[in-house]
Amino acid sequence: MLLFKLAFRNIFRQRRRSLLTAMSLTGGYVLSVFSFSMSAGSYNNAIAFFTQDHTGHIQIHKEDYLQRPKIHKYIEAPEDLSAMLDANERIASHTLRVFSPSIAYSDTDNTPAQVIGVDLDRERTTSTLAAKVSEGSYINSEVDGEGYYSAMIGAGIANNLDIGLGDELILISQGADGSIANDIYMVGAIVGDRTSSDRSTVFLPLAAAQEFLSMYGAVHEVSILLNDDGRAREEAEALQNLLPDLSVDPWQVVEATFYQSMQTDKRGNAVFMGIIIFIVFVGVMNTVLMSVLERTREFGVLKAIGSRPAKLAAMITLETILLALISVLLGLLISIPLILWFTYSGFALPEPMDVGGVLMSHITGELSPFVFGAPLLLILGFAIIISIPAGVRAALNSPTEAMRSH
Amino acid sequence: MKFRIYRCIALFAHRGLLILNVALLSGIVSADDRAIEIIDAMEELYRGESSFARMTMIVETPQYQRTMEMESSSIGTDKAFIRILSPRKDRGIATLKLDMEMWNYLPKINKVIKVPPSMMMGSWMGSDFTNDDLVKQTTLTEEYALTMEETDDQYHINLVPKTETVTVWGKIDYVVNKDPLIPLSQNFYDDNGRLIRKMEFSEPQEISGLLIPTRMEMIPMNKEGNKTVIIYDELQFDPPDIDESIFTLRNLRSRF
Repeated sequence: MLLFKLAFRNIFRQRRRSLLTAMSLTGGYVLSVFSFSMSAGSYNNAIAFFTQDHTGHIQIHKEDYLQRPKIHKYIEAPEDLSAMLDANERIASHTLRVFSPSIAYSDTDNTPAQVIGVDLDRERTTSTLAAKVSEGSYINSEVDGEGYYSAMIGAGIANNLDIGLGDELILISQGADGSIANDIYMVGAIVGDRTSSDRSTVFLPLAAAQEFLSMYGAVHEVSILLNDDGRAREEAEALQNLLPDLSVDPWQVVEATFYQSMQTDKRGNAVFMGIIIFIVFVGVMNTVLMSVLERTREFGVLKAIGSRPAKLAAMITLETILLALISVLLGLLISIPLILWFTYSGFALPEPMDVGGVLMSHITGELSPFVFGAPLLLILGFAIIISIPAGVRAALNSPTEAMRSH
Repeated sequence: MKFRIYRCIALFAHRGLLILNVALLSGIVSADDRAIEIIDAMEELYRGESSFARMTMIVETPQYQRTMEMESSSIGTDKAFIRILSPRKDRGIATLKLDMEMWNYLPKINKVIKVPPSMMMGSWMGSDFTNDDLVKQTTLTEEYALTMEETDDQYHINLVPKTETVTVWGKIDYVVNKDPLIPLSQNFYDDNGRLIRKMEFSEPQEISGLLIPTRMEMIPMNKEGNKTVIIYDELQFDPPDIDESIFTLRNLRSRF
């Protein structure tokens, strides 16, 4: 306790020196927190965006549909699978989809279109499709009085074909049985704007798309949202074991291009982080060593009047730890509002950046215990590592030698 | 469709014997010249001919099998009209071919769609026949150099494109049975000499006094498990009710 008191008093005895040391430690801490937050944050936002936009955390396909989509690689009778996924409490929701490239026609024009048949009710809870409707309202799966299904079309298609709500849309594609798929739909809603990724997509009710493509109840894709987004790989593996005939992939595989760019970038970030941490380390070392060496004479006097070397070393280490603790607490106070701002608004990029097909418009941070905790331990660790040899050296110095230094 | 080639061969079988005999009697033309002469004469005969056919097309792939019934009318080599009768889902889908152009009519959406040049090598109605098979009117003897070999009961005619012509195939092997004189098979090779697809003729029946194979199988070599079979259920030459008005866009659009 005496030791503690001494250490505490020593810190406040030399206010200017302590303040400088503390400032250096605090600066290092804030810098580390900021870097950690940035490297984790930017991507988490993008990941949250596309998993909720359409990808989901896990997708199920037949065979290698993901790599080589062919219309006949479909999951037959997905009702049992659906029931099983509904019963799984780790799964928040899932949706069923069919896909087919096609050509969309109005009376006068035509344009390529990606047809996606979606289970309208399930899609609502699994993706942000409903929120992307910019004109009209989310369609239902009923046929109208004239026997036409409704369709939601991307703004690009509406623009290219010059059609709007209530107009006819003609689709032509190839059916799963090799026949010419062709039918007329009523435009019930327009999705997104001309810059969104859905601009050339036509969304149909699942049953309508299955009928269009002669797929009779089969689907190409099951997209799953988990309750815990960090467990995509584990859950995908568990599902894969239950479904040996199908391919189950986490988003890391589904969005492989993005994931790989992200991993590459993160490796680059790791080097950058290493440099920052090294700079912080040098800063801490410098301040701690200076504050010890500066006091060689003082330690000599303490030894001469009978302080035990071990106590002396302990006191120096304790002093450093105390100072480091105060500094990081101060740093925490500064960085919490900073990271809050960084996470919830962030820097807007002048031009959205395309990372493997995913657009990122803001650089934002992440707010998590890790972001604050890791630098805290790092700074304290550095301080201890440096102060122990410094303290030991001070303790072992002969008092006469030490007192002779100025 | 291969229908035309097949008809060529049918006529070849019919008239060829006579010409062959003449050629053999004259004894002054080489075997290669004879092949050219036969096919040219046959094509000459073919012009102006009209026909009506009802056929069944079976498309087999590893994933599905689809059977379609259709009827086709044709005049010469450059006008053809095909209408699908069944299955119900596809009933009324029609294809019109006029010279080098081709249109499909889809009754469900009441739309005529011209087949663009880029789609010519694409599949016709999901079969292993290409749109080009329907449209092309290459005169074999003009665009290909012919050589002929004889065995005891078969003629093997080898067609290699002449240097100045642009053709789809690098080589066609044409096997014709001697007695009766009917086609047996055609093998289509690409420029590297790889066999791309095979067409086989079988089940010959006498129609309008001609012995004609009524079953044709198109087997693409690059798509394992795929095959298209065409079976002629009915075939008439020079039927009275075929005239030019059938081969119009107006007729293509007409409700069926």
